[in-house]
Formats: sequence, C-alpha cells, structure tokens
Amino acid sequence: MNNIQQISSIRQIFGLRYTPNALYNDSAMAKPTTIPVIELHDLKKRFGIGDAEHFALDGVDLVIQKGEFIAIMGPSGCGKTTLLNILGLLDGSTDGDYNLDGRSVATLSARRQARIRSQQIGFIFQSFNLISRLNIIENVALPLTYKGISRTKRLILASDMLRNFHLNEREYYMPYQLSGGQTQRVAIARALVNQPSIILADEPTGNLDSRSSHIIMEELSDLHKRGNTIIMVTHNPSLTAYASRVITMLDGRIDTDTHLPMQEQLLVAPKHPLGPLSTPKVIKQKDRSSRRMRKLKKSLLTHETSHK
Amino acid sequence: MRFLLLSHIQNAQQSLRSNRMRSGLTMLGVTIGVASITTILALSAGASKVVGDQIDALGGNIAVIRPGATISDPLSNLTQANPQRDFAASTLTETDVTLINSVAHIDAVAPLMVLSGTVKADSIAPAQTPIVATSPQLALISGLTVQEGEFIGSTANQDTATIGAQLSINIFGTDQSIGKMLTIRGKQFTVIGILKRTNNPINYNSVDFDNAVVISLTSGKQLNQGLPQIQQINVRSDSVTNLNDAIIELNKLLIAAHQGEHDFIILTGDQISQPTSQLFYAIAGLTATVAGISLLVGGIGIMNIMLVSVAERTREIGIRKALGATNADITVQFLIEALAIGLGGGISGYGVGYLLAFGISTFLTFDPVINWEIVVVALSLSISMGTVFGLYPAIRASRKDPIESLRQYN
Repeated sequence: MNNIQQISSIRQIFGLRYTPNALYNDSAMAKPTTIPVIELHDLKKRFGIGDAEHFALDGVDLVIQKGEFIAIMGPSGCGKTTLLNILGLLDGSTDGDYNLDGRSVATLSARRQARIRSQQIGFIFQSFNLISRLNIIENVALPLTYKGISRTKRLILASDMLRNFHLNEREYYMPYQLSGGQTQRVAIARALVNQPSIILADEPTGNLDSRSSHIIMEELSDLHKRGNTIIMVTHNPSLTAYASRVITMLDGRIDTDTHLPMQEQLLVAPKHPLGPLSTPKVIKQKDRSSRRMRKLKKSLLTHETSHK
Repeated sequence: MRFLLLSHIQNAQQSLRSNRMRSGLTMLGVTIGVASITTILALSAGASKVVGDQIDALGGNIAVIRPGATISDPLSNLTQANPQRDFAASTLTETDVTLINSVAHIDAVAPLMVLSGTVKADSIAPAQTPIVATSPQLALISGLTVQEGEFIGSTANQDTATIGAQLSINIFGTDQSIGKMLTIRGKQFTVIGILKRTNNPINYNSVDFDNAVVISLTSGKQLNQGLPQIQQINVRSDSVTNLNDAIIELNKLLIAAHQGEHDFIILTGDQISQPTSQLFYAIAGLTATVAGISLLVGGIGIMNIMLVSVAERTREIGIRKALGATNADITVQFLIEALAIGLGGGISGYGVGYLLAFGISTFLTFDPVINWEIVVVALSLSISMGTVFGLYPAIRASRKDPIESLRQYN
C-alpha cells in the first residue's frame, strides 16, 4: 500500500470530504508567525567511526514554539537523550542546523553556550544529580553561582524556590536525607531557580513510584501553565497525558509527532510501518491521534455548514 | 565576577572540609617542605647576622687586613677549587705590623696567628682547639674581656697564656684555673687569665675564643719554628672619621713594603662580615635546595590529590557544566582548591619552620632571624607549588565532557 492509498483509506474511515490541500492550508493558517524557540533542521549526531559508526540522530527536523510541553518517547537507544543533550547545549551535532531563538548555536562560543545554559535552560535529570556534599538550599542555589549573584541573595532566592515546592523545612537537609520524590522536587527547584524559559527533563520520574511521579508531573504541568517551554523525555506513556505535544522517536528520527497535521504524520508513518516498538506507546499515540482527528473532523463539519 | 571568585573560595573551603583527612595530609607534605626551607633560611640568616652584629657592636673604626690578592667574588672559593692557597705562605709579616703601628690615627694593631696542636693539662683538649698568637691589643679591638686574671701582656712573661672559659673546664675541670700549667705543643705555659664567655664561635676572627688559648706572638713564633705566619691583622683607628684616611695611608705603605704588589686585602665595615655571610648564604641556599626536594614531593602530593579529587567529582563537574559553569569556572574552582592547600601548607610550614628553628637554636650560639624575605620566600614557594601542581588537574577537570561526566556512576 502506497502513501496515497493509506491517506485515502483513512479518509474513508473518518468519512472526510476535504482534500489534502485543504488540510495543508488549514494547518498553514494555524501556524504561528513568531520565531520558534527551537528549530532543528536535518540534525545528525554520529558516534564512532568506520565500522563502528552509528547515527544516534539521523536527520531530525523539529520546530518547538514557546510554551509547548513536549513529551519525547521512544525505545532505548532511539536518540531521545542525545536530542535532549543537544537541545541543552551539552553536546554538539555532527551535521544539520540548530537554531535557538532564531540564532544558530553553531556560531556560539563555548562560553556563550554556558551562559545560555545558565540563563535560559533548566535541566531536570532522572537521577536528580544533586551534589551530595552540598545541602538542599546550596544545591538549589548552585545555578545562581554562575550568574554572579552574591551568596546571601542566592540563598534567599533558593529558599523562596524551595518554599514553592513545600520544601522550606528541608532547606538544610542533605540530599541523602530526602525521599526520591522530594529529591526530584529539589532538582526541579534547582532547574527553575534561574527562571529559565526552557526546561529539559530527562525521564524526571524514572526513579520514582507512580504517586511521586504524578506529583512531579503536576509540578511540571503547573510550570507549563505559567508559560515555560518544557521538553521531557519519558518511557512512561501515561505521563504523555500532561504534555501538549507528543513526539515518538525511532532509530534517530522522529517517528510520530502529534503537532504535525495528520497527513504529514501519515507521510512519515510508512517509514516504520510497524510503528514504535513499545506497545503501550503505540496505543497512546493512536488514542491521541484519534482524539485529534475527531476534533479536526468536527471543526471541518462546522466550517462546511457555515459555508452552506 | 567578584561574587563568582568568592563563591569559588567558599566552594574550595567546603570541598577541603569535606575531605579533612586527605586535605590535611596533602597540606602536611607542603608544610614539611616549607618548614625545612624556613628553618634553614632563618638559621643561616641568624648566623650571618651574628658576624654583622659583632662588627656593629665594635664600632665602625675597625679594619681587617688579610693576606692574598683581592677576591672579586668571595663565592669563588666555593665554586673554584684552589688547594694551593691553603699551603701558601702568608703575605703578611711582622714588618707590616710595625709599619701599620706607625700610621697616624691607628691606635691598636693585633696580628693574628692561629696554630693548631695538642693542648693538654689534666686532660687533653679537643683536637681542633685553636692556639692564637697575638698582641695584647686584640682584647681592645675584638672586645675580649677576662672574667678572672688578665689578658696576655707584652711585658709579662712570654710563657703565659689566657684561655677560654670552656677550654678551662675541658682541660682543668674548672674555670678557676689561674696559675695552673698547661702544655701547648710540648711547651709549658702558665694560665694568667680566663676569658669571659663570648658564646660567639662565628666571628670575623674565625676563632672560638671560649675554646681558645691566647698566647703572645713571640711564643707563637717559638711554637712555629721561629717563623711568624700571620693570617690576619686587626686594626683600630682612633675614630670612625679617621679610619678611611688611615686605611689609605697604610695601603700605600704596605704596597710599598710589598714591592708594589697588592697581595693583601683591607676590609672595613660590612666587608668584614660579607665573606662569612655570603658563605653562610651559599651553604643555606644549597641546603635549602636540597630541602626543596621535599617541597617538590609536597607539590606532587597536591597534584596527586587534585587528580583524585577531579576523578571523584567528575559527575559534579558535569552537573556544574549543565547548570551553566564555563570551562574557566571549573579551572578556577579546582585551582583555588590547590592554591588553598599550597597556601595553607605554606603558612603552617612557616610557623612550624620557626618553631623548629627556635628549637634548634637552643643548641646553637645564635638565634634565628625573622625577616620579611623569609615570609616572601615561604609564601611565594607555597603559592607557586599550588599553582604549578594544581594547574594540570584543574585544566583536566575543565576539559571533561559534560555528558560523559554526568554518566559517571555516583
């Protein structure tokens, strides 16, 4: 079955009467005119050389607008974390373009990249990555150090941030004295203390039980509502419910993206006819796609009725 | 930037505190190195000061005439072997002493002829006991006083001797030995005086008068087969202002007497103590260099411990980089830690060094000197140790890949 046949069959299933062009035009109309926060074009990351050469990212095209909450899913080794590291300027790409706020990061010096990490990006790690010999408040205040803020002011800001996460009574605890959920909340507080516009979370609930996971996700959801751009890598399909956009990756490429119009997704889909290897993720993806299609169908019908 | 530096200092403090034992032991390495150098420098400066102080105490109207051509570089004795000089005949003679006596404004002249030989009484004196044959005026020029009896006199019996207090105890078992007999190179002498303790074995006469036997020049010649062998002539002018004129005059006279040959040296003021001081400084420099090896070991200790610290804290480096630290921030952070170890070791080494120096000086006849030069040497050495040996680990830390660092198992 070729691509056109696939599109036709989908149209038949949903009883759509619009042409593919109409879908494109509609989507084009909805496109925001502001500069995207992140723009990736044909991004590649190669590891190893010769026979051991392996592309962790193999031509990733991605546009992220301000205020999006993106969940990136995919099987292990598909390039999720590599993508996140490149987005966070911790790693460089082998090929392709990465524009941050409309500016190519390839032109930025290491010092400038560090400054961007300090001022614009907040990292949340799966393994929390708190410095074990520093207490909670010092850990939270750490990113402010590299902004040249005085110690007293750093501690005041860190204390305020910890109060937001109901951890003000644990300020002088050491990291090992907290539960997993509390530790991750500290890590989120640390990521936010600089008031970054982009938050990159690499499996933030990977080491937490389901209750703690949902608490953390609620926190992230709150942040999203406040206008932060969040890019989260996760293996847990249930967490994608919090995201406004879900991207699945496979073999270093974007497999599906709920942000893309259906037709674009279908054009992408045949590359991997069997879909992602993770079964629950496929189900979730299908669920979200069908919801989206139902909404689309409804709006189109309203549009047609008004024309009549 | 100021806050960042302060933050690095606080961070170094925290890091060192969290590894107290390790940091302390590394610091100890530097402490030992700096302490040994401080001790050597303080003691050598003390020894040099002794001679200088003696010249100052005697006033500025003393000159010393020594045989041999003028040595432009006193340290050449150390670097160039010149064995024949030790066996060469002295160019100073009794005639010179008489000539110097005739110079205006010279009020005291004391030739110095130092012999060695067996000195014995109830028991035998140590082998290196100096036998000083001189004139009675030595007491005036060198400020020697007697605690009992009298100094050798020109009119007294030639077979008399004045001996040092310690020598008296060594050979007679008491410092009350007036009238007792002692044998010098087989010839009997009567003790007519006991010198007051000087506690100055290091002096411009190169004689430890506490352990010396002082006899007249005539007796000295008799002990030396009738030949005078004058190693030094001490001269005193009637006033400081007249010393220069007197020296010019005696210089002329001596050159004329030596057939136009300038085969003697006239030293005044600081020049008298300079060869001794320079010799001490040269020896101190040499021993301090050897002690510097221990400082080098301390520096290698800093590098070793900093490399361990970098390896242990690789993950922390990754975290800091992810949170916005630049390579320079990481370099400075680790460099400050190394500097703190070096400086801490330097300060404690300086203290320990002086404690040691004062401890050792209780067995010596001089005190160590406290001066700013030694502080500068100790601190600059420790700072450079910290910088030189901390730089490589710090650069290594800053070059760590953040991703690889974050992957390191905690």
